[in-house]
Amino acid sequence: MKTITNILLFVIVAAVAGCNGQRDSRIHLREEVGSDTLGNNIVTRPVTHAFSVLIGEGIEVTQAVTKRNDAGFLELYVNGYNRSYKTKRFRYRVEWLDENGLLIQSKTSVWLPGSAMGQSPFSLKAVAPVPKAVNFRMDTRKWE
Amino acid sequence: MKTRTIEIIALISILLTGCAQKTVNIDVVNDEGKAVMALDYRDFDQAASGMIQSMLGSGALKKPGGGRYVVTTGRIVNDTMQRIDTDQLMAKVEEELMNSGQVVMTSAVGGKGAGDKMIYEVRDIRDSAVGDEFKKDTIPAKRQLIAPELSISGKIFQRNIRYDKNRQQVEYYFQLKITDLTTGLRFWQKETIIGKRGSNKSVSW
Repeated sequence: MKTITNILLFVIVAAVAGCNGQRDSRIHLREEVGSDTLGNNIVTRPVTHAFSVLIGEGIEVTQAVTKRNDAGFLELYVNGYNRSYKTKRFRYRVEWLDENGLLIQSKTSVWLPGSAMGQSPFSLKAVAPVPKAVNFRMDTRKWE
Repeated sequence: MKTRTIEIIALISILLTGCAQKTVNIDVVNDEGKAVMALDYRDFDQAASGMIQSMLGSGALKKPGGGRYVVTTGRIVNDTMQRIDTDQLMAKVEEELMNSGQVVMTSAVGGKGAGDKMIYEVRDIRDSAVGDEFKKDTIPAKRQLIAPELSISGKIFQRNIRYDKNRQQVEYYFQLKITDLTTGLRFWQKETIIGKRGSNKSVSW
């Protein structure tokens, strides 16, 4: 009996270690695409999904970086992560500000569609319409 | 009896007036209205915004050695089933490109002819007897117009696909490109797709 328990433990440890060893953070294998794991399988998935909905997980912005491109226009790169298990569709609008913090009127500052698949990173990019833009503000709203 | 009839007619009129849809102005800045199967102003805003940002971000409009490119709008083909004035897209693009300080648009030539016919009417006056009525130095001389260096051309087209028994899918493709008129080389190109899925009963033309 003790031998069987040891063998089972060894197999589980080997399986977990094997899965971890093959993981490359640049490649995202979604649920039901990659192999099930101890923490993510047909039994645990409904529970984790329901819990995610219960606590209201959604989109998080992890990074907002601006840089000036070769043509002199400020570029905004927003990186984020969709914590929920469902695809989140939303709208976003980037407005640009001059050195006095005043709004620069532009036809590019309109509500644009954004989308992030569940449990996945996403990125947005925006380019200022004039070189005098030095800062930005971004707003989001629900997809109608 | 006649009084009763008038009363009934008045009552029906009041009820119908109450049921009529009230006309409201659209909040074009924060419009949360439903999507429609045809192209509406929000679709043009979205397409234009993407195109402009891509153009400015690409650096294709930065003139080597400084200065501004002279740009014209060439042919923009409407190949959709809708009556679209392509200026609905291009007016936004042209406005933002000029505001960017990188280009100057010319009204002398364009895909739809001159952007401002007065350029040539004034010259017609110069070359006619009526020209004698004007002070000579206020009439443009010959060889004053500046030829465009770059041209923006493109196409908007539509594909209707049956999605299932009750729904259709309409795909709108916005394609623009910038060509150097001296060399014929293409500096920039972009396609934006706007897709809609809805009832078969909705018409997209």
